[in-house]
Amino acid sequence: MSAGRQDIDELADEYVLGLLDAADHVRIEAEIEADAALRTAVAASRDRFLALDLLAKPGAEPEGLWSRIAATLDEPKAEGLPEAADGVSHISVRPANDNSNAGWRRAALSGIAASLILAVGLGWSLLSQPQPRVVAVLLDNAGEPQAIVEDFGNASARVTPLVDFTVPDGRTMQVWTLPSKELGPVSLGLLPRSQEAVLDGPVLPQPQEAQLYEITIEQAGGSPTGRPTGPILVKGFAKMPR
Amino acid sequence: MQDHQERLADALAGCAKGDRNALRTIFELEGARLVAVAQRILRRRELAEDVVQEAFIQIWTKAGQYAPDRGSARGWIYAIARNRALNLVRDGKRLEFTEPDNLADLHDAEHMDHAANVWADLDRQNRLRECLSRLDETKRRSILMVYISGYTHGEIAGRLKVPLGTAKAWVRRGLASLRECMA
Repeated sequence: MSAGRQDIDELADEYVLGLLDAADHVRIEAEIEADAALRTAVAASRDRFLALDLLAKPGAEPEGLWSRIAATLDEPKAEGLPEAADGVSHISVRPANDNSNAGWRRAALSGIAASLILAVGLGWSLLSQPQPRVVAVLLDNAGEPQAIVEDFGNASARVTPLVDFTVPDGRTMQVWTLPSKELGPVSLGLLPRSQEAVLDGPVLPQPQEAQLYEITIEQAGGSPTGRPTGPILVKGFAKMPR
Repeated sequence: MQDHQERLADALAGCAKGDRNALRTIFELEGARLVAVAQRILRRRELAEDVVQEAFIQIWTKAGQYAPDRGSARGWIYAIARNRALNLVRDGKRLEFTEPDNLADLHDAEHMDHAANVWADLDRQNRLRECLSRLDETKRRSILMVYISGYTHGEIAGRLKVPLGTAKAWVRRGLASLRECMA
């Protein structure tokens, strides 16, 4: 690495603060192993900011967390894991057979609920005109259907809440779709209250089967960045009416 | 503090030799706070716990790589958890479901303000506090949003309503001033 002192220090800070893009982050991670000057700069940067981490107030003892960790260590493959470069090993540490894990139950329930409501949703949507190109049933964390999005594929989409969402003052619901990885999430519009609305969004590629739709909670007026920044309220994948 | 760092360094050496009690020691010393650090970035407690679980597996498998030229043992341990939390947040996992009960909490969770003010809790003697206090408000705020809440340049630009280039310049110059001040 031929970069000067200043550049190395700047790079180290940006690496430590997580400001590099994914490719650069991985590249620097590898360079740290080979480049002693960079390694020292990264170490200094970490220790410069560590005091801010120590200000985080520990909450209650994370219940059961140690037993989860210990259980993962007991899996034969975790123990012999190959050493990865600093910070980049992407291992799955979910216990392979953890029946207390609510995740798969949720997934299964979501699937069942989605099929049921989709059948209802499709039947219902076929009666309305014009016919949507895709219909997505949006589910909450527990897999309960909460809203339906019908995308007509002509820059308009109808959103029908199935429950009363309460949104805090100064916040709004915003409806998003992900037409493709390249385009990223695109706003279809704001949903100010829990009430059916037809949104006039931007002109997008024709919606596809399995396209993601979601509603997030954003600050009043919508996301300032043009991308979802708030928590997801509900989400679901589109199906085409047959 | 020195004792604490030595205990952590010893525990890392223990992990490298396969002593699971050593990992347990690290968990007891830092586990709850690591969850809090991850939660400042991810906001959701269960995601933060997942991240810390993964981080401890990584600490276990990589403890042999720790050496003093990688900085303090504590900094090394926190960096692993921070990296995992940032990976997850960059993958969009912060945009996960919120529990309906949590909606009301969004008000309290005005992350930005919290992040911007937290530095005042640093000890008076702390060098970082002294150096942060010398920065312009905008630079200090940007850096704290990055470090504490895990924001990107783009998210800072959006939240502080300035062009991307301005946000990048604030962060870059702020970091340079901090390096100089703390050198």
